[in-house]
Amino acid sequence: MKKKIGLIVNPVAGMGGSVGLKGTDGGSYERALKLGARPVTPARTKDLLERIRKKEDIDLLSAPGRMGAEYLQGCAVTSAVAGSVAEQTSAEDTKRIAGEMLKKGIELLIFVGGDGTARDIYDAVGLAIPVVAVPSGVKVFSAVFAFSARAAAEMVDAFITGASTLEEEVLDIDEKAFRENRLASKLYGYLLVPAVKKYLQGGKECSNTSATAAESKQEIARCISESMDRDTLYLLGPGTTVQAVADEAGVEKTLLGVDALAGGRLVGTDIGEKQILSLFQEFDKRTIIVTPIGGNGFIFGRGSKQFTPEVIRQVGKKNIIVVGTRDKLMKLEALRVDTGDYELDQALAGYTEVTVGRKEILKMEVRC
Amino acid sequence: MPYPPPQAIVQAARRGSGKLHRYAEQKDLEHLRALLADYAGVPDRHIVAGPGSDMLLREILHSFSGGRKVVMPSPNFLPTVHAARRFAARQVSIRLSAPEFHLTPEILLEELEDPALVIIDNPNNPTGKALLERRTVEAVLANSGTLLVIDEAYFEFSGVSFAILVRNHPNLAITRTLDKAFSLAGARIGYLIAGQLFLEGLSSFQSSLPRASLQAAVEALSSPSYMRKNAGLIIEERERLLRETAALGAEVYASAANFLLVHTRRPEIAAQLEERGVLVADISSQLAPGHIRVSVGTSSENDAFIAAYEDIVKNS
Repeated sequence: MKKKIGLIVNPVAGMGGSVGLKGTDGGSYERALKLGARPVTPARTKDLLERIRKKEDIDLLSAPGRMGAEYLQGCAVTSAVAGSVAEQTSAEDTKRIAGEMLKKGIELLIFVGGDGTARDIYDAVGLAIPVVAVPSGVKVFSAVFAFSARAAAEMVDAFITGASTLEEEVLDIDEKAFRENRLASKLYGYLLVPAVKKYLQGGKECSNTSATAAESKQEIARCISESMDRDTLYLLGPGTTVQAVADEAGVEKTLLGVDALAGGRLVGTDIGEKQILSLFQEFDKRTIIVTPIGGNGFIFGRGSKQFTPEVIRQVGKKNIIVVGTRDKLMKLEALRVDTGDYELDQALAGYTEVTVGRKEILKMEVRC
Repeated sequence: MPYPPPQAIVQAARRGSGKLHRYAEQKDLEHLRALLADYAGVPDRHIVAGPGSDMLLREILHSFSGGRKVVMPSPNFLPTVHAARRFAARQVSIRLSAPEFHLTPEILLEELEDPALVIIDNPNNPTGKALLERRTVEAVLANSGTLLVIDEAYFEFSGVSFAILVRNHPNLAITRTLDKAFSLAGARIGYLIAGQLFLEGLSSFQSSLPRASLQAAVEALSSPSYMRKNAGLIIEERERLLRETAALGAEVYASAANFLLVHTRRPEIAAQLEERGVLVADISSQLAPGHIRVSVGTSSENDAFIAAYEDIVKNS
């Protein structure tokens, strides 16, 4: 017997990432458009749908238009459409349509979006049915998300073959604080997901602010700073460890944005893809410095969408420096990448060196 | 080890305590070396005895890390990790990833283009996994600038040893201990099965052993049947503990040692077990919170762990 599965796509989720915005809700959407942002959820949704192997076992109930039905062309799955939406969609549409789908008896709800979308889904369905959360936002810090669209497809297949469920966290990110370069989050609620832990990304953990962690960050920062040369453009990713590198270099970096450093000074603050590519025209030598997100290990694809596939390709894998404190890294199974370009993800996968101290390198697996 | 040594060994230790005002005699130290060599299947000259294998590992790091990077798996036996941080000018740790905790030979071998001191515990503490196959060991040893130390502290449970290679590979050393299967943790006797390069580098290393420990060790090695019986009991109990803990929903990793790595989704699990009178190793400094290392005990100790864990699961 076929499983009745709902699909809701947030068409604007993740758009702000490449242009350096911290989200795409509210007024950020218009700003993102003006800055030249392009939708990211269509590709994610198509990737998900292509990768689901058990399509013949699905009766899909999709949200209309850009919230789902638009991406079903050519997809060999039985489908119907629930509800209607205007051209410009909103969180209220997500909640309303999810509620309608629930009344129509869906057994699983797939949604594509970010932490904001996860909160809307939680408001609508709570723990009534399990969900599969396809990561496509700017931040995507909640533990409820699969680590990629492909991993989400595996979770859908697992659900169809009878996987049990477990509860995972949905985080409430203080969006205003985030835009002001502060990360403040708290637990918003729990959603049920298929219990296939290897496909779940894990929730973001807060930075360790202990004195020992601070000393470790400083040691790493000194080591990296001493190796910097004046001709190279350094793109500094988000996070407190990278911020320590900036402090050591004598510049004030945004905590949550991507800043550019060259010749000992900042040449770009909180920049997006466009500004980065523009800087590439001045600098032949480029290096990205990133730190994994605590709790889930992402070095690309979460909270740093400014590092688009194009940017990463133009820098090159061998010019990516990963830094991190031991206490953060010891809690991670592996590092992760989810750039949106699977070929690039595969090229980045394998083992990479992480600088954890002046004398110590940790070689960690990167998974996609 | 949950089983005490036989009374004959305790008596031997008491006899050894009879002259505490004297250092242990050289002939007794030589006797111990001969017994260890026989046990290891190597000539006497390859044996260096010391007060615990962790001390020997520390001495190796102190003596051999100059001019070499130290390469180790992570997670690892913590005293070795701390000693490496103290003495190594450069350290490369290769992270073992769940669920396989596999040490990829190619990743290890690519570190050996420069002079290196490689220290690998096999089985690994705290995962319990055997990390090395013979061809990997031989590939590592083929690099003339590499010194390889294999810590076989849990050899009696895994049944896997590379000691035989020491005769023909001067750059290999094996560390072992009588702490575990021989039930002599309180006696603190470790030993090195050392290739020629290690013997030369440690030629000035001299360690006198406590008299009581020395006599206990001689007696234990002279009659090791109790050890084999106890190791067999531990292995049986290990497999039972694995099955019954996994049945309660924990992720339990297959082990070649005398402990199990258990992953729960409960960051406070070690504290919760302690409240119920069960002590386990909280290894959240080396792996994600919720990971514990459970030493295999006697049958009733293991039952107590299972009952306590079941109680935690039921009440959460």
